Amino acid sequence: MKDTRNSPEIEIAGLSKVFGAGASAFTALSDIDLTIAQGEFFTLLGPSGCGKTTLLRVIAGFEQPSDGSLRINAQEVAGKGPNARPVNTVFQNYALFPHMSVAQNIGFGLKMLGRARSEIDATVDEMLALVQMAHLADRKPAEISGGQQQRVALARALAPRPRVLLLDEPLSALDLKLRKGMQSELKRLQGETGITFVFVTHDQEEALTMSDRIAVMSEGRILQTGTPHEIYHRPRERFVADFIGDTNFLEVEVAEADGAAAQVKLPGGALHSARLPGGLRPGAGARVTVVIRPEQAQLVAPGQGVLAATVEKSVFFGTDTHVHLHLEGGAPFILRRQNTGAMPEPDPGSAVGLALAEGALQVVGD
Amino acid sequence: MAEATGRYAPADRTTVAKPRRRARNFDVRHLPGFGAVAIFTFFMLYAPILILVVFSFNAAPSQAQWGGFSLQWYEAAFNNRQVREVSIRSLWLALVASGIATTVATLAALGTTRVRRFPGQTMIYALINQPLMVPEIVTGVALLIFFAAIKVQTGYTGMGYLVAAHTAFCIPFAYLPIRARLETMDITLERAAADLYASPFQAFRHVTLPLLVPGIVAGFMLGFVISLDAVVITEFVKSAGQDTLPTYMLGQLRRNITPEMNAIATLFLALSLCIVTAFFLLTRKRG
Repeated sequence: MKDTRNSPEIEIAGLSKVFGAGASAFTALSDIDLTIAQGEFFTLLGPSGCGKTTLLRVIAGFEQPSDGSLRINAQEVAGKGPNARPVNTVFQNYALFPHMSVAQNIGFGLKMLGRARSEIDATVDEMLALVQMAHLADRKPAEISGGQQQRVALARALAPRPRVLLLDEPLSALDLKLRKGMQSELKRLQGETGITFVFVTHDQEEALTMSDRIAVMSEGRILQTGTPHEIYHRPRERFVADFIGDTNFLEVEVAEADGAAAQVKLPGGALHSARLPGGLRPGAGARVTVVIRPEQAQLVAPGQGVLAATVEKSVFFGTDTHVHLHLEGGAPFILRRQNTGAMPEPDPGSAVGLALAEGALQVVGD
Repeated sequence: MAEATGRYAPADRTTVAKPRRRARNFDVRHLPGFGAVAIFTFFMLYAPILILVVFSFNAAPSQAQWGGFSLQWYEAAFNNRQVREVSIRSLWLALVASGIATTVATLAALGTTRVRRFPGQTMIYALINQPLMVPEIVTGVALLIFFAAIKVQTGYTGMGYLVAAHTAFCIPFAYLPIRARLETMDITLERAAADLYASPFQAFRHVTLPLLVPGIVAGFMLGFVISLDAVVITEFVKSAGQDTLPTYMLGQLRRNITPEMNAIATLFLALSLCIVTAFFLLTRKRG
């Protein structure tokens, strides 16, 4: 297959969506700029009400943007209906047609496109095989399980070979085991078809494990776009750090700043380097918030390391243990360590030191 | 089980008795007199109909004294040219009026559920359902005067007036089940159709309409029965020689009541039972 990954599939510029008018107007999306590359698995991540589903519906054509431009494969589609866009959707509730069989559901898109009967039949068979549903082709949606309905919804959306597949929290109705299975199934299908996937979820773990890139959204805005690594390790804002994974926040004072790095003064007085996100250039003496992931701190003997703390309790999670601490000065801190069996759990109330990995500190904006 | 509860009753009283009493609290069957009221209601509903059916097979020309089994009144009804004429007129009128009403009601239901809310929507809802709220006698008098004016102007005295009148009051009866069906239908199904390249008309033809069929059939049948039943408005609107079955029967009652009327009523009862049964079977199959 030709590598087209770097050419843009979806280009969104200055897009906004306002519902209602006057005093009751509600801005669901404001000033969205986003480029999604061909063949990318792109995730819109955020809490409910952040606008991620609205953005998906604008891309699908169910809602028209109030302002801005939306191009799919270099064609402006703002103002066009959903039936005029090379985009298909997997709906959260699947939205399978209850009066049609599984095969008729999958063939619906091609039938509407006016394809020949023979071509529709061939594609339906291919899709049924792709999602391993050939044995249930003649069943009605009400006669198959939730996981199977999910596969049919996927096959139905893939059958017309769209340029972009939109997935609106498609896994949220499945139980944990099925969800894990469908996650790898989705990745496999995306790899096999080469179609650009735009995936909406509020589940940060799902986003981290499946995506090529993630856009974190809040209150109608995109706060940060990046690879799962960038989002996790280099959050630009407090909200992003807080939403993705467990996080410790510390209020610190900047000792000196130089370009993308700064020296900050930790509680207790020790100096440590911290990365600065682009666009944030605090001067010496400024108070900033730094993020420390729980697995990037290590327990050391009291008096050693860069932070002093008191153990509150340990919580055993099987593969790892979460140690809840109070830093000198009272701030809570959670530390995660793998249970390799080498170290005993610290006693509650005992004093410990904390060592931080190089690059563990990331300054975030508020 | 009974033995066990008996043996442990003193110890178990606090734990067992409480939930049992709570479970009984809101069961209407335990209210005093419930059974009697239920039996009385069913008796009042069905006893008159049962007696009507029984006496349609009476050999004697009486509604009170049984004179043996006979089909003579059915024979008389079939051979009565007037009965045949008004029956056919009634069925034709009900079919045409509820057919038009169902079409209009389907469009109205789509227009009030499948668009963005617009100002005056509640007003339109009320206007569509007006025949449910205005007394029939008022509508009847209004139509009489209105149609009289048209008759004078145009000279037309055909069935058009009855069709128009019946259609008008059938619309809300057809509208309500169709609208109910549309409101419970998942709107994402139509979105999904549009997403899969269906034009608005194709989405309606392939998704909305097939799912709407039970509502439309229910609406049509309601309209059909209501039209078949209409006495007041028909009496006001009909021209000479335009008697429908109910107005004909009413006219006959003024003279002498023979079991022929019972036979006709029984036949119509059988017809409506057939329609209702067919509808149930049809909708159950569709799931």
